[in-house]
Amino acid sequence: MSGVVVAGGAMTPFNRRKDGSGMRDWARAAFFDALSDARLEARDIDALVLASESDFFTLQLNPAALIADELGLFGIAAQRVEGGGASGHLAVHAGAAMVMAARARRVAVLGLEPSASHLRGAAVGALYGLSFDAWTDGMTGIDSTSLYALSVQAFMEETGAIEADFAAIAARNRQNARANPNAHLPLDIAAADVAASPVIAQPYRRLDCSPLSDGAACVILAGAAALPDVGAGRARIAGMGVANDRVRLGERARPGRFGAKGVAMRRALAEAGTTVAEIGLAEIYDSYSGAQLQALDGLGLAVDVVRAEREGVFAAEGALPVNLSGGLLGQGAPVGATGVAQVLACALQLEGRYFGRRVATPPRYALADTHGGVATLNAVSILEGAR
Amino acid sequence: MKYRLTLDYTVPEGTLAPYFDALRDGRALAAQCTSCAATSFPPRPICGACGGREMAWRALTGRARVVRRADTENGAFALARFDGADGLATVALVNPARRHAAGRLAPPPDARPGLWLYLENEDDDHA
Repeated sequence: MSGVVVAGGAMTPFNRRKDGSGMRDWARAAFFDALSDARLEARDIDALVLASESDFFTLQLNPAALIADELGLFGIAAQRVEGGGASGHLAVHAGAAMVMAARARRVAVLGLEPSASHLRGAAVGALYGLSFDAWTDGMTGIDSTSLYALSVQAFMEETGAIEADFAAIAARNRQNARANPNAHLPLDIAAADVAASPVIAQPYRRLDCSPLSDGAACVILAGAAALPDVGAGRARIAGMGVANDRVRLGERARPGRFGAKGVAMRRALAEAGTTVAEIGLAEIYDSYSGAQLQALDGLGLAVDVVRAEREGVFAAEGALPVNLSGGLLGQGAPVGATGVAQVLACALQLEGRYFGRRVATPPRYALADTHGGVATLNAVSILEGAR
Repeated sequence: MKYRLTLDYTVPEGTLAPYFDALRDGRALAAQCTSCAATSFPPRPICGACGGREMAWRALTGRARVVRRADTENGAFALARFDGADGLATVALVNPARRHAAGRLAPPPDARPGLWLYLENEDDDHA
């Protein structure tokens, strides 16, 4: 069990910025709000782990050094972590590892991405295509929606999932996002609206896809002994797991299944010393509506995820509420910040102080799941509430 | 602020150079593991089945069957099984208006990397 405490955290709104602010502003806002939440000062931080996916988005190489400087942090250990869509979550793991190894006492993990405002959508899409095997996939012009569509078609064939299941997820996550003041797409929509939106790549329609967002999120990690009141009341990261899959979808034995997630999940469960049955809340990487079901399936959170979805297991009032934040579909997806925000949401839910839609009764354990590629690089964290 | 960055890459192809040379001619060159005979297309430098590090080039016919396809505003793509290969490959479709389930490897437009499939009737003879 890691024993790393999420001492505090904060995020900016995720959206397409139109207020003239930039990523340096978002970084400062998220960092200083997180510090305040943790009841710490900047001088208490001895390491910064920065997550951002692409220098083409930020137009800034060596961003960890730049952002540390922007935050007034000097003489600290600073590094940048990148793992595609999982960048933010992997940065949390890197920060936790520093605390566990006693290489730092209090680590700021800051994720950011100007995914929406720096470049046109077509340019971002072309760059995202290089998230897969650039030589065989990206340079043909294939986009992530097409690759996810090819994957989910196989999932549908094997499990009986249909477009209506995906539409229900897309609508529900947007409805959850309506309680989230930081959400990019807090939409009052129903499944019929999703089904009526334009097809992007069968079976995915526009409203099945997560948006390109701008924003930042920050969590402060530390051992309890390094925190005010020894971190009383704050959630801990109980277990972490990472596993990769074959990059090229066609080389996987089952292109529709997110098998490596199960490997990461088992590692996280083992480290946390718990079981799937004890997970009472999940923030899942729903880059596409169907990917949410594929992820839940890969993580082993239900024997039959399609049936569980139709029975309402993953709804806010269900046995395992999923993406009460709105997920990527509703809250948004500034890539480097996404995983950090997922971990933050889980921690705040367990502490009973989440700023969006709250779970009725905070469970003991919550799960954050993030991936890069089509579930190619998978990161899982299990958080435990204070007892 | 406005800033424009124009980049023009020249990317060495390394051990895969014979594969890319063949692709530019519209030929399919796979890698076959000398230990277990698993055949990968696109080729892998290390066998995906047994981890073997000795691979030999093997020419395929270039014919493939479309297993799944995704049509978009900006093109159509598919997972296809090339004759003689063990797995599937992601391909861009040259002539997506056709709905045939079979095709043959085509030279990539503008010498771009990646696999491009020309859809045609299965019994068409392009030998």
